[in-house]
Amino acid sequence: MTDTALAHGPVVERRRGESLTATALLAPATIFVALCLLAPLVILFRYSLNEFVPTKKMMVEAVTVANYVKFFTDPYYTAILATTVRIAVMVTLACLILGFPLAYVMARTQSRFKNLLIILTVLPLFVGNAVRAAGWMTIFGSKGFFNTTLQWLGLIDKPLEIMFTEKAVIIGIIAVNLPFMVLTLQSVIESIDRAVEEAAFSLGAPPATMFRRVLWPLALPGILAGTILTFILAMNAYATPFLLGGPLFKMMAPLVYNQFTQQTNWPFGGAIAFILMTVTLGLTLAANLLIQRRRAS
Amino acid sequence: MARLDLHGLSKRYGDFHAVREVTLEIDDGEFLVLLGPSGCGKTTTLRMVAGFIEPSAGNVRLAGQDVTQLPPWKRNAGMVFQSYALFPHLTVAQNVAFGLEMRKLPRADINKRVDEALALVRLGGYGGRLPRQLSGGQQQRVALARALAIRPDVLLLDEPLSNLDAKLRQEVRVEIHELQHQLGLTTVMVTHDQEEALTMADRLVVMNEGSVRQVGTQRDLYERPADRFVAGFVGRSTFLEGAVEAPGRFRTDGGLALACSGSGSGAKSGRGVLALRPERLQVAPAPITGLDNGLPGTVEFVSYLGALIDIHVRLSPADRLVVQIANREGGFAPEVGQSVHVSWPASAGLVFTE
Repeated sequence: MTDTALAHGPVVERRRGESLTATALLAPATIFVALCLLAPLVILFRYSLNEFVPTKKMMVEAVTVANYVKFFTDPYYTAILATTVRIAVMVTLACLILGFPLAYVMARTQSRFKNLLIILTVLPLFVGNAVRAAGWMTIFGSKGFFNTTLQWLGLIDKPLEIMFTEKAVIIGIIAVNLPFMVLTLQSVIESIDRAVEEAAFSLGAPPATMFRRVLWPLALPGILAGTILTFILAMNAYATPFLLGGPLFKMMAPLVYNQFTQQTNWPFGGAIAFILMTVTLGLTLAANLLIQRRRAS
Repeated sequence: MARLDLHGLSKRYGDFHAVREVTLEIDDGEFLVLLGPSGCGKTTTLRMVAGFIEPSAGNVRLAGQDVTQLPPWKRNAGMVFQSYALFPHLTVAQNVAFGLEMRKLPRADINKRVDEALALVRLGGYGGRLPRQLSGGQQQRVALARALAIRPDVLLLDEPLSNLDAKLRQEVRVEIHELQHQLGLTTVMVTHDQEEALTMADRLVVMNEGSVRQVGTQRDLYERPADRFVAGFVGRSTFLEGAVEAPGRFRTDGGLALACSGSGSGAKSGRGVLALRPERLQVAPAPITGLDNGLPGTVEFVSYLGALIDIHVRLSPADRLVVQIANREGGFAPEVGQSVHVSWPASAGLVFTE
């Protein structure tokens, strides 16, 4: 035993050294995630099982699923969830359709302005969502720049209702999410050898066929990453629906915030937060599985 | 299979002429190689034939039909790319079947032709693999099979061997050449490797700075290079600067009077260069009688290449030339600093006047 241990000594030692390095590299991020993400989640989940006494506006220790039941039995709340999912899906599809051609051009261009294009794409991210939404309010309001210009040109009689509608929210979230989609797609398309597209052309595939048979399947990992990213961002959008949707328009993230701050109903707020997270994760996974199965067949 | 005609083919990018007025006639079943340094326009020419680049002027006729305005997917040209460009998400068989599916062939025919094409490149049984599971040489052969399966009018090869290691390259070179002859394929290959070009081509086209410098067989290019560029690019040459004194007489800037009777030596006067092939020269301790030129010099540098030895000899302050000798047992092997005599027949001297 001792002999074998000695014989393998150096090997064991090196392995221990490696695992120490790995631990040292992983530890900071792991601790950060555990403290700042997992712990609040656990506490929030525990809160969501508590009871809320409206008269006293306070939380009472309990273990009940009443908050979850309340959400799913009240059409008011389920309608908000449905709206959120619908908007997130529409925004994600729109980002994909708008983003792919842009990402393709950016990935394939030989122009020396390529870096400028990339910077221009990222530039909107330098301005916070709330600030940007506030800007739009001045442009798209009934007396805003957009409507006054159209009226001045005589194209419309009365102002178009854009602000405080679902349209405004969808346009707003698309604008916020598009750079994420474009950048993700661009990096993936860039990694696809251009000659592969040309090979398809030379073998007789017109552009649409080449796209369907070659570019799309090869870009699929990036398409998945991009759609997941934009879908999650859209599901959890807060500032844009809050500012552009107006007081009557409801999505999930503002609802959670409202429960915590206005109603001080922490248990119900926690429950909604968890429902939002679960639905987002569930839909993302389902879409992934669906695409992968279709790809395999 | 078919003939391919390029007429006045040009490509300009702003003020930059990538390809100027290329006119070539490639016979049915001929293997033509476009040879030149990088940036000479050979790849641009090939890509105009494939349809990836639209020419600024001129036209491309394939099998008698003007295809200049046709997109690549409407030309029946099989292309093998430098990076092979296999579809990484498709199996070997699916890669080869791709072009046949585009031609809407019945499934049974497709399978039959895929098997044929893979057998042709000795990859039968590899149909189910993914490209990444194959070696570089095998991927190269899949790319070839994919291009051949569509029975193209012309096969286009874009530096097809440059990603293979040296040993494999020699094998694949012979394979492609044999396959091309066996199938009687009209083929255009682009390369910057002159050895590759010389071993594979029926006819070569030397290009530089967008223009065709010379078209001919290996022997034409080597024995009768059209200009100084070709003389330096195909094979090697030492160039001695100077001027023509009279037909057959060349005086270098270093003052050496040399007899020459190779191509271009009929010029009567004017500045120019005398080109000498290193292997046509002889080096010995004393002048060799019977040769038209014999000059004393000093060995300045010796480069040992194994089978061959390069000897750099200074003949005058302005003139230095390279002599290549075979590395033979007991042969004369001069050392640096040694005084020697370099001799050559007048026929070895080629003259290019300005």
